[in-house]
Amino acid sequence: MGAAYSSHPDIHAVRPAPLIHPTRWIGGFALALFVVLFVRLLILNENMQWAVVAQYLFSAEILAGIGRTLLLTLLAMLVGFAIGVVLAIMRLSANPVFRAASWMWIWFFRGVPPLVQLVFWYNLGLLIPEVTFGVPFGPTFWSGPTNRLITPFSAAILGLSFTESAYAAEMVRAGIQAISVGQTEAAATLGMTRAQILRRIVLPQALKILIPPIGNDTISMLKFTSLVSVLAMPDLLYSAQMIYSRTYQTIPLLIVATIWYLVLSTSLTLAEHWIEARVNGRPISLKGVAASLLKSMRPSFARPEPRT
Amino acid sequence: MSGPLLRVERLCKSFGALRVLKNIEMRVEAGQVVCIVGPSGSGKSTLLRCLNHLETPDSGVVFLDGEPIGLRWKGQKLHRMSFNELAAQRQRMGMVFQSFNLFPHRTALENVIEAPIVVKRKPRAQATREAMALLDKVGLADRADHYPSQLSGGQQQRVAIARSLAMQPALMLFDEPTSALDPELVGEVLNVMRQLAQEGMTMIVVTHEMSFARDVANHLIFMDEGTIVEEGPPSDVLIRPQQARTKSFLARVIGRRA
Repeated sequence: MGAAYSSHPDIHAVRPAPLIHPTRWIGGFALALFVVLFVRLLILNENMQWAVVAQYLFSAEILAGIGRTLLLTLLAMLVGFAIGVVLAIMRLSANPVFRAASWMWIWFFRGVPPLVQLVFWYNLGLLIPEVTFGVPFGPTFWSGPTNRLITPFSAAILGLSFTESAYAAEMVRAGIQAISVGQTEAAATLGMTRAQILRRIVLPQALKILIPPIGNDTISMLKFTSLVSVLAMPDLLYSAQMIYSRTYQTIPLLIVATIWYLVLSTSLTLAEHWIEARVNGRPISLKGVAASLLKSMRPSFARPEPRT
Repeated sequence: MSGPLLRVERLCKSFGALRVLKNIEMRVEAGQVVCIVGPSGSGKSTLLRCLNHLETPDSGVVFLDGEPIGLRWKGQKLHRMSFNELAAQRQRMGMVFQSFNLFPHRTALENVIEAPIVVKRKPRAQATREAMALLDKVGLADRADHYPSQLSGGQQQRVAIARSLAMQPALMLFDEPTSALDPELVGEVLNVMRQLAQEGMTMIVVTHEMSFARDVANHLIFMDEGTIVEEGPPSDVLIRPQQARTKSFLARVIGRRA
């Protein structure tokens, strides 16, 4: 019906023209303009002193700082996550004493800013001058001044890992709770003990869910480590600061630090996508990682994940 | 050994104000296949879950080989067992769930060898040999390296049966093992269960499969509102039900599926 009056070609013979997206073109053009202006500013502004940036980008002092930053990130994450797992298990335990202790730890270390903690741990000697290891009211194994234990490095690890432990605990708790009760019940009917069920059935599944948030936390930690400059610990930022306090080339050295922080956090992002692909049994290749990264940029409603 | 393999005395369980099990009494002899049927909400699954203390009964006792489950004497005082003390008793009662509950991070074979290695401390080689024999028995030896997500529902349930058998239980509990399956996959699971029954395995099966109850069970229990309304040989209960509630239930169910 209607075909007789219509001047259109046969609808079955033609393909519909693709949708046009004017906002993409307008937005894209505006963004491109800003990028060009910004890059021009970076290149033409003499205060950037690119020659100085190039001079220090691979200097021994900066590279040593990167090493310390990475070591701090790694150790703080490892220690923090290990404590976090214990806290999460305590939080989910039937024992009210464990639950309360874990709740208090999380409340405290999530509430106090890491910068305050770093300064506090570094000055622990003012509060407790002597540290003693031994049995309370019994024999002493080791005793000495607190300041022999508290260095900028150990204070940094304490402050950063304790902060991380509080966040990791809540994360791991959510991961454990996401595993169905049926898993625990099936393992229980096979005669497994609580510890066996946790270690072999629940945690492996929970940790798999937790890979993206752990990656996220690791990148946060990389940036948090820059706080240790207040303890005069020569990490990446403080190494740059030490150089510009001698040479007064503040901006170029901050750019050196910025470039390296971006390189490191990008590497961590890639590593996270690589691990995720590996654990999910997808083939591991640069292409696969790139595809996973691209996918994470797309709006999730545009392309629903296929159910597996 | 005299006396029944499993004995349930005065078992009661409530969820809040709802009395789910009211004074259940039950005996299962070794080698018997007992089917429990009844409308949903009648307490069948809760009864099954009380047997191995996945649910702790409010009162009453389950005895396995004369030994109380979840309770132990300390002199003249009776104590509840902790989760880990219960583990030793639980492994004597295998359980198959409606939702399979296979470990998704382990292959079919790894699912079956997990408990023998971790709980019974069997050498891996021996556990693997026995597990392959069990997978072969349920017809899935060629799927040993598949993960649960790569298996159909019927195949997953058969792996779950093999996983339970690997602990060499004295008794197998089946909690609506075919209710989550597509109709064309029900048969393969029931066939494995039929074969187990023929081999003399003691089984308690909560099910809606009346033909399985009629053909395989030696004893049929009809439950409603937390009590055993009627029980006996399946032919008697299914064909000449005495109670009005049994009659109306069977009319509804058999009308649909006979």
